Amino acid sequence: MAVVRARGLVKTFGTGRVARRVLDGADLDVEAGEVVAVLGRSGSGKSTLLHLIGGLDRPEAGSIELGGVDVARASERQLSAVRRRHVGFVFQFFHLLPELSGEANVLLAGRMRGAAPDAPARGGALIDRLGLRHVAGSLPSQLSGGEQQRFAIARALVNDPSLLLADEPTGNLDAEAGAEVLRLLRAGADEGRAVVMVTHEAAATAMADRVLRLADGKLEPC
Amino acid sequence: MLSLALAGLRARGSRTLLSALGILAASLVVGTGVTVGFGLATGFDRSADGAGLPDVIARFDPEKRTTVDERVRALPNLETASYRYEVLNAPLTANGHHNHRGAVNTIGEGRRGYEILDGRDLVASRSGEAVVEQGLAKEWDLHPGDRIRVGRELGELTITGISNAPDNVAFPLATTARVYVSDATIRERLGFTPDDANVALLWLRDPGKADVTLSQARAVSFGLGKLEFVTREGVRVLLSQAAGIVISLLVAFSLVALVAAGTMLAAGAHADVQRRLSAFGVQRALGFSPGRIAALQATEAAIVAVPAALAGLAIGTLAVAGRSGELLAALNERPPGGALVLPLALAFLAVLAIVVAAATWPAWRAARRPPAEILRGGDVAPRRQGKEARGGLLGLGARFSTAARGRFLASVATIAVCAGVVVLMLALASLLERLRDDPGTVGKRYQLTVRAPDWLLGAIRDVPGVDAAGERYATEAADSFRLGEQLKLVAYRGDHTDFEAPPLAEGRRVRAPDEIEVGLGLADALGLRPGSTVAAQLRSGAEVRFRVTGIVRALESSGRIGWVQPDRLLAGDPDLKPGIVVRLDPGADRAQVTRDLIGIGAPPRTASAATTRNGEFLAVLAAVLRGVGLAVGLVCLYALVQALTMTARERRGAVALLRACGGDARAVTTVLAGAAAAVALPAAVAGIVLEWAVFGPLVARLAAGFASLPLSPAPGDIAIVLLGLLALSAGATLLVARRVLREPVVAGLREE
Repeated sequence: MAVVRARGLVKTFGTGRVARRVLDGADLDVEAGEVVAVLGRSGSGKSTLLHLIGGLDRPEAGSIELGGVDVARASERQLSAVRRRHVGFVFQFFHLLPELSGEANVLLAGRMRGAAPDAPARGGALIDRLGLRHVAGSLPSQLSGGEQQRFAIARALVNDPSLLLADEPTGNLDAEAGAEVLRLLRAGADEGRAVVMVTHEAAATAMADRVLRLADGKLEPC
Repeated sequence: MLSLALAGLRARGSRTLLSALGILAASLVVGTGVTVGFGLATGFDRSADGAGLPDVIARFDPEKRTTVDERVRALPNLETASYRYEVLNAPLTANGHHNHRGAVNTIGEGRRGYEILDGRDLVASRSGEAVVEQGLAKEWDLHPGDRIRVGRELGELTITGISNAPDNVAFPLATTARVYVSDATIRERLGFTPDDANVALLWLRDPGKADVTLSQARAVSFGLGKLEFVTREGVRVLLSQAAGIVISLLVAFSLVALVAAGTMLAAGAHADVQRRLSAFGVQRALGFSPGRIAALQATEAAIVAVPAALAGLAIGTLAVAGRSGELLAALNERPPGGALVLPLALAFLAVLAIVVAAATWPAWRAARRPPAEILRGGDVAPRRQGKEARGGLLGLGARFSTAARGRFLASVATIAVCAGVVVLMLALASLLERLRDDPGTVGKRYQLTVRAPDWLLGAIRDVPGVDAAGERYATEAADSFRLGEQLKLVAYRGDHTDFEAPPLAEGRRVRAPDEIEVGLGLADALGLRPGSTVAAQLRSGAEVRFRVTGIVRALESSGRIGWVQPDRLLAGDPDLKPGIVVRLDPGADRAQVTRDLIGIGAPPRTASAATTRNGEFLAVLAAVLRGVGLAVGLVCLYALVQALTMTARERRGAVALLRACGGDARAVTTVLAGAAAAVALPAAVAGIVLEWAVFGPLVARLAAGFASLPLSPAPGDIAIVLLGLLALSAGATLLVARRVLREPVVAGLREE
């Protein structure tokens, strides 16, 4: 069963002569337990696709069904709930809050009203599982890139989402740290989550169940 | 360098605009402070010079001009003199107005001692003409060419000019309105040549030796009855009795506002640099030297500061110039006009220097650190390991505010200074009200005064609600050694503290007829200490001596006052008549007591406090205060909104991340409220402490170091400031939250 189902997504940036349609009828279905890697040239709309699927932005046309909600037409309140309950994000530049420790960053998502009640416990367990306990109290500026990204993955998983969206998760890491991150994403999928990952890395595509290419605003199998 | 700086400013358009607005707001306060402060502080000297105010004005019983002139010419220090004959309580009628308290001055040859503001002066050979003082002209809307009826015999005269003489405040603040007529008018209308004088205006070669000249004048003045002298300094003191404390408070407030504005400018510029630390790191990594980065920062700061400071100073000046001018006019003082340009130019340079220095110095310091350290985000406060974030989303918002320590401290400092100034404004307003209405502010413990024969004293004491009643003697005198030094002597039989108890600063209270307690203002002027001798020359010409037992912080008469027992005063001036002062029981019905006193033939008046009750004058004062207060209030509002907006803008990415993690509008608003509270609450507390410990005492000391001015914040003032800041914080939070929530989440994430 598809965790997320997107149909005919259209998104344009700019207006008039400088308008650029980066998505032009893109379709995507991702099943639970499946890792989908999305490839494409810089500026082809890969990150935009993730933002739309995760309810961070709205398409001009098309529909996205996630957790029983049409994300494209949902209210801001519904979108917040969808992001809280169903989506976990992992970003290329980690996006950890610099004034919070690694652990506090993980628990942040569990602080929201309506978050999973067991989020704090899950956060602690994730920190242990990802081998971050010894640096849990450190500020992001005191952590290595790999440690920061592992904290970001723990934060993405703290509310036990059904969909994990990763935007170039290894783009800022060395090979060893990148491999560890990919292993964690695979593990996330093996636990029954759908994982969509935007990447340029060959290693990332190698661990994916499906690899799609975004070209001319549409997704095609590689 | 210039093009690079301009490009940098353009790239940070909205932040540049915010910085410019901050400089404009602070400059606006500077503009109002300089305009009010300079105008009032220099008004008397400017007007005295403009009018050619005499160094000494002598008043005496009418005497032949030739006789007076013979005596005056004997003074070795004399440069020139002129004479007037002044008739008081003359009826004046013009433009449908009428007044019975005209002071008609017949003037002869020689210097006038006033300046003509409009029209022309009197011409000795022409009759039927008059010059009127500007206060009367303004109040009655009189212009050159209008007609005024003066007295019963002089009839209608044509007004040729409007004059200004700062030897008294203007009508209607002064109860008398001055009109000048020439000898020719008296000759034509009354049929005789005036040859009497009762006022002599003396200009001295060396005004610094006025004391010596006055002693010589005393020596040669035999035969002149009721001779009184007043020097320029004496005039200044007399004027200060009318409004001096208020003017001093305004000037002192302006000075504090200037300091506050300077602090805000420095804090704002410092915060701007803190925000740009990462950019400095990149510039250093690209090969920019610390000096070049600092120079670039200085250039950018100057480019923003010049137009903003000019605009702020201009707006501030225009906002209060009119009201300040009216206030000066009420005091018979001239507005500074072109003389204001120099202090404004200096203020502009000071603003520019503060902004450039505050922007350059931290940039220079930051740029000298290793680029890697700057790029890592040295702005974030180090945090102890292993401690989990507390306080939920509210605490997280507070952490957003406090994480960038430099910016946080700058914001708190700015808002604290604003809050302190607002508390000061409120305390000042309360004080002015009390100075006007509450005699207790100046140490008076009586509430009513009665003009009644002394045999009614017993009956007055028996009136229900009257706690005590006593005779109060008051007279003006001059120091025998320095006749230019005026002082007021107040006498009670027995313990004067039953009726007047200014706080004792040194020594002890009066216990015997040969003792005196002097105000700190008089003690400072004459170098008096407990044990010194005061020799005072009374109006009768007699000299009385007292030994100083104590020095008190008296507000009345600028502290140039002394309390004694009446025996020696009465010996020196047997004609001195007392008034009766009445102290009421606590909780007594004042209206009923008043009715009872009227019933026994002793109609009472409310005891006066430290300032005039003239409604128009107080209205002008209130307008000036409102003008300055509005400027400070605007700055306060701006500083708070700016701090919150900057926090929200800087943590735009973090807020977007919260939303990406599922945070809804409530979560975002809670975080922003925490950020606002983290700045506003310590700022409010710091502002109150600042007013209590620094601003209040500073203003009180600057305004009246000779007295104790209660300028501590009242609980009500504190509540108003706390609630005001809370409301502003809530409003700013909602505004910013609304704006943040309107923005797509991805826009914020791109910036993080």
